[in-house]
Amino acid sequence: MNWNCAITEERLTDYLDGILAPEETAAFSAHTATCAACATMLAEVNHLMSQMELVEPLDPPAHLTAKILDSTLGPREEAADWRKWFDWVPVIWQPRVGMGLATVAASVAILFHAFAPAGGRVSLADLSPASIVHSANRQVHLTYAHGVKFVNDLRVVYEIESRLGPQPAQMNAPASVPQPPPSQPSNDPHEKSGAVPHSGRRSVTGGLMAFDEPAGWPDGNTTRSLR
Amino acid sequence: MEPDAQLIQSCLRGDGPAWEELVRRHTRRVYNLCYRFTGNGTAAEDLTQEVFIRVYRTLGSYQAVYGAFPTWLTSVTRNMLVDHYRRTRRDRLTDSIDDAMPQLEETHSPVRSPDRQLQANELSEKLQQGLAKLSPELREAVILRDLQELEYSEIRAVLQVPEGTVKSRINRGRIELARVLSEMGVRPA
Repeated sequence: MNWNCAITEERLTDYLDGILAPEETAAFSAHTATCAACATMLAEVNHLMSQMELVEPLDPPAHLTAKILDSTLGPREEAADWRKWFDWVPVIWQPRVGMGLATVAASVAILFHAFAPAGGRVSLADLSPASIVHSANRQVHLTYAHGVKFVNDLRVVYEIESRLGPQPAQMNAPASVPQPPPSQPSNDPHEKSGAVPHSGRRSVTGGLMAFDEPAGWPDGNTTRSLR
Repeated sequence: MEPDAQLIQSCLRGDGPAWEELVRRHTRRVYNLCYRFTGNGTAAEDLTQEVFIRVYRTLGSYQAVYGAFPTWLTSVTRNMLVDHYRRTRRDRLTDSIDDAMPQLEETHSPVRSPDRQLQANELSEKLQQGLAKLSPELREAVILRDLQELEYSEIRAVLQVPEGTVKSRINRGRIELARVLSEMGVRPA
């Protein structure tokens, strides 16, 4: 048999599978030993075969099986086993949760520092529940006492201001408020002298109203306290 | 492990878990065939899904005389790939640049060391590029034989051609692929 390049190419797979007759194998080998092109082809195919053996099957995407089952069996219920109770676990690994926890920790540290006894220097004894409760109780009462003192001080200031200070109600009185006509001056000295307490009383109310609203105090209390 | 034939009988009686087991058992094979033929992860995923939908609908028509279930499944997949190839022919003609340099959409990662992983990925990618340059007949023959490791008789059943033709295509496909890969630098040292 006249073994040539065409036959070598045609019988290559049979040669690799080892199913050539002995004399064909000998002829094949003899040809590739002398023909550079066929030798190269044989080497390349051998290399390809060895490389393809190294190629592992690809992993299909993880969701593919579920997708197929959904499209054939219809949407299925979520896995109702114990694992669903741990669905939240991946959530806590997110960076934003870490940031949130850090913020909370910082806030707790600030509050603890602010309310801690001895100017923020904490000893082990301060960490006992009794000390913490005592400290918190003391702070609440102190805060309440400061608040009460502040309110009382404000009351005094407003009262003095309304009796002695300028008359904000008159200064800010709208133009529509009827004024006594200048053409009818009163000559009655009693009436003139009585005008001061009258206008003063009005100004107390007006002055309080002017301060009252932004502070948010109830009107009834203010009026009652001043009377 | 329960044989495929028993699972199929259970499926035909409406047993959902049996179908689930059948899908889990063969998804990898179908996906790999589709991926190696198309070189596109998304297309492979869609095709795999289509294959199983078709199998689900036509499971009643499967009979053992067709051969083992995997062979039948491969036939269904191959028919689907032929349809897909026809459907996308126009896209390929108008997108010849992409065709010349097929891009891999995703990197698959079996567990192994980073160096070997890199080599394996590189080899897999080059192999994919080489396969894309073969004609569909040669490509499918090489994939079925060398990557899916089917017997000649099984490939003959899938392709519905004489065994001589199967061997001839595998032979030419290997020579062609080896030449292409050699040009790409994958050659014996």
